[in-house]
Amino acid sequence: MRKPPYEIALKPYGKALLELAARRPDVFCLGADLTRQTETDLIREQMPERFINVGMAEANMIGIAGGMARAGHTVFVNSFGVFCTRRCYDQIAMALAYPKLNVKIAGFMPGVSSPGGPSHQAIDDLALMRALPNMTVFDLSDAAEITQAVQVAADIPGPVYLRLKRGEIPVIFGEGHVFDGRRAHVLSRGADVCLIASGMMVPATLAAAEVLEAAGLGVTVVNSPVVKPLDAPSIVEAAAATRLVITAENHSVVGGLGSAVAEAMAEAGLGRRLLRIGLQDTFAESGSREFLFDKYGLSVQAIVNAAWQALRPGTEVPQAPQQQAEPGTYAPV
Amino acid sequence: MVSIQGFGYFGQALSAAEIFAVLYGSFFKPGHDRFVLSPGHYAVVLFAVAAELGLIERKHLASYGLDGALLEAISTERTPMVDLTCGSLGQGLSGAIGFALASRLASDGRHTYAFLSDGEMEEGQVWEAAMFAAHHRLEGLTVLIDANDSQVDGPVTEQTTIEPLADKWRAFGWETFDVDGHDVQALHAALQSPRQGRPRVVIARTEILSRIRALPASTDAHFVKLDPQLTAAIEAELEAQLA
Repeated sequence: MRKPPYEIALKPYGKALLELAARRPDVFCLGADLTRQTETDLIREQMPERFINVGMAEANMIGIAGGMARAGHTVFVNSFGVFCTRRCYDQIAMALAYPKLNVKIAGFMPGVSSPGGPSHQAIDDLALMRALPNMTVFDLSDAAEITQAVQVAADIPGPVYLRLKRGEIPVIFGEGHVFDGRRAHVLSRGADVCLIASGMMVPATLAAAEVLEAAGLGVTVVNSPVVKPLDAPSIVEAAAATRLVITAENHSVVGGLGSAVAEAMAEAGLGRRLLRIGLQDTFAESGSREFLFDKYGLSVQAIVNAAWQALRPGTEVPQAPQQQAEPGTYAPV
Repeated sequence: MVSIQGFGYFGQALSAAEIFAVLYGSFFKPGHDRFVLSPGHYAVVLFAVAAELGLIERKHLASYGLDGALLEAISTERTPMVDLTCGSLGQGLSGAIGFALASRLASDGRHTYAFLSDGEMEEGQVWEAAMFAAHHRLEGLTVLIDANDSQVDGPVTEQTTIEPLADKWRAFGWETFDVDGHDVQALHAALQSPRQGRPRVVIARTEILSRIRALPASTDAHFVKLDPQLTAAIEAELEAQLA
């Protein structure tokens, strides 16, 4: 595992999709007018016979994908996460999830990583997709995860939602990192607090763990890119060895990773305090990533504060160092 | 089916009978072409056709709409005979486009027929799909619309009208036929005319209940309930019409 600031990769999804399409004649790609933004300009330019831009018509795109999947294609549909979930929820439910068709939904620009305000911020996409029977849900953090997730998703029978950061993708994990579409990864072990994160909150969680350990706490870190079906055994086992559990997601705390972990812990009979880092049942606003992650409690310091105030109440909270990311690198807020 | 249970989508069967008879009698190639039933509650018509053609056993008709029956009142993923069906309206044409694109990619010559109802044209997705199919000149796609001017709350033209329907489809770039949906020859001619490199729509103007005089004017056309006396009167009237 690397240390921040992280190197960045560009278009890992688009490259992996192009490679997959070159290997598999059944793979087809549909877009809804956000081709460069969803990294599908690569397949549009290099394999135009495998790409159709449906235009700004997400409901129609989902329906077409369903028909093509019934005819034997594996179809990747692409848009911003907010548009390809909320706008076409009934279509995803009835045209893809219920018949369990091989359509993979790539939703870019998760949570408050979008500067565009509530209309462009997918803060409930995990909750929406998680509620659908037959749907697999990934919230991906790193270029290696994303690259492997494309093939993994194609091999899973049925619909998959891939939640993807847009633009510069951090390279967090080393060469040996395996994403298998099933497991949560315990990245470190400590006896005091278990931090469980997905997607863009993984770098912030790793940084928070470093601050907490330097201040004397034992920290377990779990990366859980598979939000559904949750790897409940691994998560419960990791959580049971600590005194406090904190989930961290770039999403509403309602219905996403935090809810999934709460359900897993409760069903396993694990009585541990659980704190959920994420949007606290609120819409956000326009602004930079730095401004929004700080204001809405998704920063490294927010995780440190939550852990410290629960475990060492009344004592001075350690301060996370300001991360300086040079251009071409990535650091959490 | 409807008379046995005393309820069902009888009006839809009355309005769409000739459309299905012509399609399955003369054009649709089972096992080759694809059929999309967008409004799932029209399954009653499909079941009648299937039994007539020997594609399902007649005994199944008796359990139409009952708990656990193969023939559900609103078709689902387990409904026989359809390649795609929707209970949530307005979605079928998009799926049909997926089939037509797949056929074009495979160059397999399979034609896709999509049956739609007029009421579901109030759903915006139908027009997203209509625009797309014309843009991509999907010649392997034919839409049949039962224009019976009926939706749950009453006549479509009295809720939010979709007229002028033929002008709308023409404006969207479709080869458009506007015919009497109870005229078998007119339906046949529309389906048989040479293709013009565009998707085709056949708007079949039909009547939902008014051809049955025994039904009182107060009948809920969308979902008909029958008692034995009314059933007998309707059956006698239908037999006389067909004699």
